[in-house]
Amino acid sequence: MSVHTVTHPSAVPATVHGRVGTPFWWALLILVGGLALPWSRQGVNVLAYDAARTGLWLLGQAWPVVTALVLAAALLFLGRQPLPSRTSGRVMLGLSTLGMALTVAQLFMRGEPFGLGAVVVFLGFLSIAGISLSYSGWLRVEPFAGAAILWLAVFIGVFILYPLGTMLATSVWVRGEFTLDVFRQTLRSPTFFLFENPWTEVSERRLAQWVGLAAGFAALAVQLVAHRRELGRHALRIAAWTLVSAACGYSLSALYTGFGALRNSVLLALSVGLVSTALGLSFALLAQRSRFPIRSLMGPFSTLSMITPPFVLGLAMIYMFGRQGLITNRLLGMNTTAFYGPLGVGVAQVLAFTPLAYLVLTGVVRSLDPAMEEAAQTLRASRWRLFHTVTWPLLRPGVANAFLLCVIESLADFGNPLILGGGVPFLPTEVFFAIEGRFNQNEAAVYGVILLFMTVGVFLLQHYWLRKASYVTVTGKPSSGHPSPLPGALEYPMVTAFVLWTLLGIMLYASVFSGSFVKLWGFNNTFTLEHYEALRTSGLGVFLDTARLAAIAAVPSALVGFLIAYVVGRLNFPGRSLLEFTSMLSFAVPGTVMGIGYVLAFNSGPLRLTGTELIIILAFVFRNMPVGIRSGLAALQQIDRSLEEASTTLRASNLTTLRRILFPLLVPAVISGLMFSFVRAMTAISQVIFLVTPSTNLATVLILSWVGHGSIGRGAALSCVLIAAMAVVVLLLNVVLHRTGRNAGRAITY
Amino acid sequence: MTKLARRTWLAAAWLLVAGLLLAPAAGAQGTVTVLCSPSVVWCDVLKDEFPKATGINLEYIRLSSGEGLARLRAEKDNPTFDVWFGGTGDPHLIAFREGLTEFYKPSSWDDLVPAFREVTGETYLPLYAGILGWAVNEQMLNSMGLPIPRTWKDLTAPVYRGLIAMPNPNTSGTGYTMLATILQIYGEDEGWKLLRDLHFNVAQYTRAGAEPGLLAGRGEVAIGVTFMHDALHQAIQGFPVTVKAPADGTGFEIGGLSLVRNGPNREAAIRFIEWALSPEAQVLAAQRGESYQLPTNVNTPLDERSPRFSDVRVIPYDFEHWGDPAVREAVVSRWTNEIYPIPRPRN
Repeated sequence: MSVHTVTHPSAVPATVHGRVGTPFWWALLILVGGLALPWSRQGVNVLAYDAARTGLWLLGQAWPVVTALVLAAALLFLGRQPLPSRTSGRVMLGLSTLGMALTVAQLFMRGEPFGLGAVVVFLGFLSIAGISLSYSGWLRVEPFAGAAILWLAVFIGVFILYPLGTMLATSVWVRGEFTLDVFRQTLRSPTFFLFENPWTEVSERRLAQWVGLAAGFAALAVQLVAHRRELGRHALRIAAWTLVSAACGYSLSALYTGFGALRNSVLLALSVGLVSTALGLSFALLAQRSRFPIRSLMGPFSTLSMITPPFVLGLAMIYMFGRQGLITNRLLGMNTTAFYGPLGVGVAQVLAFTPLAYLVLTGVVRSLDPAMEEAAQTLRASRWRLFHTVTWPLLRPGVANAFLLCVIESLADFGNPLILGGGVPFLPTEVFFAIEGRFNQNEAAVYGVILLFMTVGVFLLQHYWLRKASYVTVTGKPSSGHPSPLPGALEYPMVTAFVLWTLLGIMLYASVFSGSFVKLWGFNNTFTLEHYEALRTSGLGVFLDTARLAAIAAVPSALVGFLIAYVVGRLNFPGRSLLEFTSMLSFAVPGTVMGIGYVLAFNSGPLRLTGTELIIILAFVFRNMPVGIRSGLAALQQIDRSLEEASTTLRASNLTTLRRILFPLLVPAVISGLMFSFVRAMTAISQVIFLVTPSTNLATVLILSWVGHGSIGRGAALSCVLIAAMAVVVLLLNVVLHRTGRNAGRAITY
Repeated sequence: MTKLARRTWLAAAWLLVAGLLLAPAAGAQGTVTVLCSPSVVWCDVLKDEFPKATGINLEYIRLSSGEGLARLRAEKDNPTFDVWFGGTGDPHLIAFREGLTEFYKPSSWDDLVPAFREVTGETYLPLYAGILGWAVNEQMLNSMGLPIPRTWKDLTAPVYRGLIAMPNPNTSGTGYTMLATILQIYGEDEGWKLLRDLHFNVAQYTRAGAEPGLLAGRGEVAIGVTFMHDALHQAIQGFPVTVKAPADGTGFEIGGLSLVRNGPNREAAIRFIEWALSPEAQVLAAQRGESYQLPTNVNTPLDERSPRFSDVRVIPYDFEHWGDPAVREAVVSRWTNEIYPIPRPRN
């Protein structure tokens, strides 16, 4: 066994896989790909082969191609050493950066959309640049990590920041001129927010001032009593609490009495976030520690409501709770349309997002170390005290994550307000209506900017809260013992909530299912198969296309998400928080804005992608990746670094540690990320509604247009097919996971 | 060694699967790409019938007229569509004025209803006409002991509180047509007062123009303001609604057909426009497309269920004035600022 001396601290890896360094293989790939594959294309097929556009053909005519390939040859030579010196690392960095610049120059000079060859060449140079950044000693990480960071930075820059930038520019650039007029008009419109409503008798502003004052005084009183012993030391804290409470009171009152999309969306998001997180946590705790055998019920229901296109459930809810609804009218004899608007949307969102909170929290609950609770019990802590002082602090970061997810999901949700909103304005639907009804992209962009700032605010708040806690419970040391049962006062309400939730779910699904088998849902209940027969001509092909695209997109979403979680959670490098922040951004931006951004940004020039299947796949990947990041980060936070340190001490490289230590521990997180990405892609609507093309329509868009046209039965039939197919996929994945589970545990227990 | 072999196999299998998944869909030569704004069923009929008539394949994407305009704008430098089929005329006019579409004079020009082609002029082509009306759930009104309204003014009676749905003019061309119609019948002052009184009776402002008919059909409201052909579709599907037109007059829309400028296949686009304006193609809308708008070719036989101009008191709708984007903007924003936020009791 040969032991290499470590030449400089940045190049730690001592295990060398082959006889030559990795840059050699990348350079070889550049040469082969750059010569054999086309650099640009004409049509919408990104993979098309065109001999007249290959590097071999271009050698005589395009100097950037020739130079880039010469550079690759030089890198082939330089990269053959397994452990190059700093100097040769720096030379390689320079050469590969030049190579990337030349590739881009060639694309712009040619003016045609990029081809596969250019992609291979560019990514090859990018990888070498990342590796040599590490060799050069400028970036103090391993070669693998250097390449990974650069890849992520480029992809996030191109597919998240660039379209967003295009969109933001659209909000202030109107017909080639800079103006804030659109902003001014939109903010003044009652559709956005009307504070002082001249049509009401009370003055909303006056009322908000009173509420703010009252809240401030109440907070002041509470703080004074709480800190009465040491008023001097806590003066700053008391003042801060008073001010914050007064501001909260003022804004909540303003929102509550106001009118418009801002009010509706914010109040909705807060309530839905709270309720969904509470339910999700209850269900996760129940699943793990209840004495009732309801664990086996939990999985299927949470999965089912997750794999349903949102607006379909919304429709089912109208049949249950509308003016002629089965429950409100036939059962309770009410005659009301109160269900339309925030109430209906809220119920639908709680149904849809509770599983999300549940899935985030179930992993956290499962990884709570029973030994800590046993320790507390040994010290004679009561069950309540145990929950209050041990379990809850461990759960808190997970709860914060779940709340964050639910609030952002609710703010950006598009399907439910569309179907159940009853004409009441919400921010994400206004984005869409601004384009669809008022034909005004600039106004849509303004709404997008506002939503973006709100979600970013939520994100920052949450971030601050999470930082303060430490939550390492998986230490690699053996732990045993059984989790303690919940206190009864907590358990019984939870079980009741679960039963109610389950009943509602069963009812809604039954009505969608039966709706697909009757002639006219609610009016003519004769059995028929005509809706399913009709699918054969127009629905089935679209459905298969959707499944194919979603499946392709799921793999990169989960892997990229996991990689980002690792890079952000475990490595230290300049720009780390920027990377984390921007990667989460695509999740926080409403899909409609991202969709228009994509259409605007990728419509011309070398990056042209509109009309291709690839743009839909990319939209899926960058939209769903944050779910993978979140679950990856949450799981990583619970794994003690000493495991990796042990691996590093045994001279394993980062890549090896990632593959052999972290990955097996994170398999549940990765698989659930995979599943989530697929499911979210299958049910996505808001972003892709702008990206679908004649040859690549998507199932959700089709269902929505059927439902909008009144062909509810056909829509229900396609929804059932969609739900059934996704259920099969989820089950299969779980079986696979069960088999390969080893000691890593299962992702989702059913 | 076996581990390595297994890995290689796995990698090979993965590549194979990925390759199969990524295999591109074959794109046929001689395809016309249509931005289709009417109902999907009609669009599906086009997809079936156009290749039979001409041998040219047809691909379409269904986008409402607003989405369609946004899409054409976004794709201005690089259009993927050849033709824009259907949808309210106003966005077609805007598209023409912005240079997104161009005028093409079809050989059937002289067969088009003169009143319509005089309105559109050399901008877009009139494809169909729809009359504004109501979908009335008589069952519901009867059970509540309420009379069936006859005029726009009747709708403002307090007995109909919470029983009316109309499209939001901010998002729906139908909603704007209704505003413009009422303002044309009653004049500025009385018209706005009527709209304000109506506001207290409205249970829901819907996003799309056809939605009020759906709501009336489901019994969420008793009266839905919508185009008569949409109401008729609900009735034919089996929903308990009857199609009514207000006795004090009503407005109408002209559905457009436009040739996209610099589309990928101009020749096929022109063949499609010629075909779409022929009686053989227009008759398909009602026969198989579940769409009962009035066809614009005078030679097209009328479906007996279609609402006609002769049965209804249609106002001389001034498209010149009310179709102007600036007028539209002013009317809609006045409605949004002065009527929309007035609180109304829910029931």
